[in-house]
Amino acid sequence: MEIFAGLASVLTDPVLLLWVFAAAIVGMIVGAIPGLTASAAIAMLLPVTLYMDPLAALAFLYVIGKSGRYGGSIAAILFNTPGTAASAATQIDGYPLARKGQASKAMKVATLSSVIGDFIGEILLIAGVGVIAAIALKLGPPELFAIYVAAFIVIGSVIGKSITRGLASAALGILIAMVGLDPISSEGRFTFGSFDLTNGINLVPLMIGIFVLGEVFTQLGQTVRQIEVTGEGADKKSQNALSWREYKPCLPHVIRSSFIGAFIGMLPGLGSAIAAFVAYGEGKRRARNPELWGKGALEGIAAPEAANNAVSGPSMAPLLTLGIPGSTIGAILVGVFLIHGIQIGPTLFITSRDLVYALFACGLIGIALYGVIGYYGAAFVGRFITRIPVKVLYPIIFLTSFVAAYASRGSLFDVTVMVAAGFGGWVMRRLDFNPAAFVISFVLAGGAEETFRQSLLLSDDGLLIFVTRPVALGFLLLGLGALVLRIRTVRRQARLAKTQTA
Amino acid sequence: MISRIHRPSPVGLALLLFGLAATAASFQIAPDPDGGWGARIFPLVGSLAVVMCGAVECFARPTQARTPEHQATLRVIALLIVSIAYIWLIGRFGYLLSTAVAAPLALWLFGIRKRIGLAAAAILCPAIYHLLFFEALGVFPPLGDWFDLLDVFAG
Repeated sequence: MEIFAGLASVLTDPVLLLWVFAAAIVGMIVGAIPGLTASAAIAMLLPVTLYMDPLAALAFLYVIGKSGRYGGSIAAILFNTPGTAASAATQIDGYPLARKGQASKAMKVATLSSVIGDFIGEILLIAGVGVIAAIALKLGPPELFAIYVAAFIVIGSVIGKSITRGLASAALGILIAMVGLDPISSEGRFTFGSFDLTNGINLVPLMIGIFVLGEVFTQLGQTVRQIEVTGEGADKKSQNALSWREYKPCLPHVIRSSFIGAFIGMLPGLGSAIAAFVAYGEGKRRARNPELWGKGALEGIAAPEAANNAVSGPSMAPLLTLGIPGSTIGAILVGVFLIHGIQIGPTLFITSRDLVYALFACGLIGIALYGVIGYYGAAFVGRFITRIPVKVLYPIIFLTSFVAAYASRGSLFDVTVMVAAGFGGWVMRRLDFNPAAFVISFVLAGGAEETFRQSLLLSDDGLLIFVTRPVALGFLLLGLGALVLRIRTVRRQARLAKTQTA
Repeated sequence: MISRIHRPSPVGLALLLFGLAATAASFQIAPDPDGGWGARIFPLVGSLAVVMCGAVECFARPTQARTPEHQATLRVIALLIVSIAYIWLIGRFGYLLSTAVAAPLALWLFGIRKRIGLAAAAILCPAIYHLLFFEALGVFPPLGDWFDLLDVFAG
């Protein structure tokens, strides 16, 4: 019922609605620009939100995340370049349709499917988050620490090509989070006599560095080419009207994929790209016309798009109930909550219940807004993006990242951190490390250490407390199980590749 | 047998060395006076995790490395140098002058060669960012230790 109160409060606040509307447009544009991600936009705009009301700030960034996920499909269909990693699955059928002159029809399918998927994900979040929070309130420090350990292992090992480099990224994130004064004893750690380091490494410049400046370095390292629309010349109005008869076969795929996306979204670290490809694979397996998939099947667009956007809502569940961000966007939102003095975790539903449900309401309104804008204006957004000179865009982003990093605390040291993180992010991407695991682990490390030390204070048997409590043991085994499973999958893939080359 | 032995990967070695250095630094953190788990444990565990990952990476099968494009790496290094110089300049000459230098340099690195465009960026970028962040949002601007254009404007 709280969601209706949230909707009423948001709908009667024109300023808040304006922020949600702005976020829907900004996210769509950023998502549609190849190379730029919603995470980058959110990291860059985070310092601006310091000067906003907490709900407006959170809603603005949350809706950018949703709309940005959808925006990736515009680039995948129109430019044959996925705007986000998840939209690479949309590209498989979207681009062949664009080549047939049916880009607008493909985008309408993508929009409808994204909106349905996002709504399903958001409704599942609204319905289930209170229950998860109530369960989370019953968990003690040992259980929470075990959840953190499982999250470190899953985030480090599951995403990316290399397991060891992924886990190393997570470990490096923990190490960087340890810089500064110990919160209990005020003992200096990794400060090397530097006064600036005693305050620790700030999350905002670190994220701007990794996601924004790192991307600028990456783009500079590649041959920057102007974005062009493909197949638009042959786009005929008569071929682009979407009828109910055409969309009806897509619906079962959309519903199934939405649940796949919602489930994957709840698991930390997996994210949209995995959801989109799993949904695409499952959709093709169950399709009546699998031979048409990959050649421009509308269902081949609907399935990954629904899954991709259904991730958005449920990925907030571990963040809001346990304080564990499941995605990079979640990690950035942790920063926003902390900056505005809001403590995330199960108690959030006691201390800031109205704010949480108003945020969900903003999410629902944001979905409707990007749906309407996308359905009628995606082609226009596509054409607008082709007019953005890429050679000018990235230098502007470069300069903005400096002033944004400075604005978070008014410190030039933060700008230095941002540059170091940006270069580090570029090196990590080049060497197949995992910047997302690095940042999420950085965010999680403080909570993990706190719960670890609290657990040991509670324990008479030292570390044995983690194996004598069944829930804690279960989560530890879950993490180890995920790692073993991942190692086996990677080995099997390597053997398969070896056999194929032989 | 000899063919099975391969040289440890540079990435693995770098991780191993970094982890060992971090482990040594972790031992500099004072333990709890009562000898219990204190401020040292998490940094130490993190450092040892890096050491372990480095060791595994050293002896893992070499993966097909991406051949770095020499020119691209040079461009990235050049932008890194511009970034470091930009921070130094902000500290000495304030935001306006340093951005007037950094903006055309960044554009040049991304392939913009038109002199009018570069000159316009040198004037417009500092002005727009100053108005947006330091005037509209009210962020206190970074002032230069040696000279600042804001002092001239303020009289």
